[in-house]
Amino acid sequence: MGPLIPNGIIPAGWDFVIAILLGIIFGFLLEASGFSSSRNLAGVFYGYNFVVLRVFFTAVIVAMTGLLYFDYLGWIDLSKIFILPTFLWPMIIGGVIMGIGFVAGGFCPGTSFTGIAIGKTDALFFTIGLYIGIYIFSLAFPLFEKFYTSGNLGNVTLTDVTGIPASWFAAAFTVIALAAFWGTMFIEKKVRKNIKEYKF
Amino acid sequence: MNKQISSNQERYLNPYLGGVLLGLLVILTVYITGRGLGASGAVKSAVVTTSNIIAPYETQQNGYMGRFVTDNHSPMFNWLVFESLGVFLGGLLSGLLFGRVKKFRIDKGPKITNKKRLIFAVIGGILFGFGSQFGRGCTSGAALSGSATFALGGVIVMLAIFGSGYLFAYLFRKLWI
Amino acid sequence: MNRNYIFLTILMLFLAVGTIFLHKTEKLKQIEPDKLLWEIIQPTRYVSTDHVAKMIIQQDPSLEIIDVRSEKEFNNFSLPKAINIPVDSLLSETSLENFGIPGTKIVFISNDDIKADQAWVIAKRLGFDGMYVMRGGLNCWMNTIIQPVEPPEYAPLTEFATYEFRKGAKLYFTGAKTENTETKKVKVMVKRRKKTKAASGGC
Repeated sequence: MGPLIPNGIIPAGWDFVIAILLGIIFGFLLEASGFSSSRNLAGVFYGYNFVVLRVFFTAVIVAMTGLLYFDYLGWIDLSKIFILPTFLWPMIIGGVIMGIGFVAGGFCPGTSFTGIAIGKTDALFFTIGLYIGIYIFSLAFPLFEKFYTSGNLGNVTLTDVTGIPASWFAAAFTVIALAAFWGTMFIEKKVRKNIKEYKF
Repeated sequence: MNKQISSNQERYLNPYLGGVLLGLLVILTVYITGRGLGASGAVKSAVVTTSNIIAPYETQQNGYMGRFVTDNHSPMFNWLVFESLGVFLGGLLSGLLFGRVKKFRIDKGPKITNKKRLIFAVIGGILFGFGSQFGRGCTSGAALSGSATFALGGVIVMLAIFGSGYLFAYLFRKLWI
Repeated sequence: MNRNYIFLTILMLFLAVGTIFLHKTEKLKQIEPDKLLWEIIQPTRYVSTDHVAKMIIQQDPSLEIIDVRSEKEFNNFSLPKAINIPVDSLLSETSLENFGIPGTKIVFISNDDIKADQAWVIAKRLGFDGMYVMRGGLNCWMNTIIQPVEPPEYAPLTEFATYEFRKGAKLYFTGAKTENTETKKVKVMVKRRKKTKAASGGC
């Protein structure tokens, strides 16, 4: 059955309506989870607030596990979904740069949009920064065009690369995430004792 | 006494509940559209669009932006742009519901000035925007949706973002604690 | 609160580890037996040799001939532009990519029509559409197109028309052979079904 739009069950004309609706839910969940505050987000790196880790990894393991059940029940054809292409080194470097941007700016793109929505000036400035960053990238593109497309492994999944079934990864991620949830609960308690000027 | 605490505290969703709902949203998105969520792509569309208005020739000649310029429609007519518009509206909705929509204000650590916070917000944004182009997506597009669909690239980006975040956190500690 | 979390942890662990035991019996989509039976008894699933000949001569782009004989037999003689998929390798992944391309008509051929028919039934069971069997197979092809028999004088006019067509077709397939040797060697452009995927995604 699924995915509905690529399989033509929902006409492509509905694409943008669905985009807005899904976006609204996404934005609502981000804001309601506290992702509109840079202090909440940055907390994950300093141990005083692990909300990012909790929400993010719960979402990843729920989605991984859920998709496997959907696939098993025949509701979705996992071979027809978009798999992010892998560009090994550009992705590692890109991720590292994004990580620095995360601790420096305190937001990531999606959360900064919700930050603006509720009136956070720093979120607005972060988004302006995003704009500038992408613009710089575009202008400087000829300098690293080769690197940009290097290490192209194609649209591969973990299973394609390792040969290990996806369910093992789902289980492994879940075990790691659950252990991290319990572990960080204690870290958070300890760290919070030393921080006073922050509303938890 | 209880009242004082509750007024001092933001009311957020339980993080695990938020996570489960977000995970279900990713499944729903993949189920309907066959791909995941995203955010930085919308900013990219905005960059290409404005650049194309100001300097159409240079934009189309640009090896990167030129890819996203088509004759039949504006780069803003893009799935991710509409989705990001939804993100903004959804954030507003949640903010209104929980009473967090207020006049413009700044979140920052206790030890820095507003000006410094905003400068670092812009720097962070620049780095994030720059990196997201190499990473083929940001935390929502690559790390969340990518990992959820078992894409190798998604997991790489996820590990790289959080790994480097922890690695460099020490340098930026003054900003937050 | 902690008790709830313990419960949720165990639940999530159970669900995630459970996926390992979901043995997906590689179940290919199959159509219901009654539908298959209905499809099998339709006479329209057969096409005549004349019809196939006409399509080849007119270079109908939608035509895709699949020859289910063995590779040896195929190399010995084959129709122009035919693709060889022996029955025993019908279910391999590369073979299946030839099926289900929108807008194509697949015609199964073999020496008689038995093997072709078997291939048709199997492919039909997998849910593919737009497939036909050439009635009589290549033996019939030889008797009708390559060596057409003149109808007796009392035969209706239509049979004479068919005969005329067959004579023409014979020229096309045999006479044209000498000048066509070069083009025959041209590698057959095999159409493959594109995997449907969302056009783009990510950030």
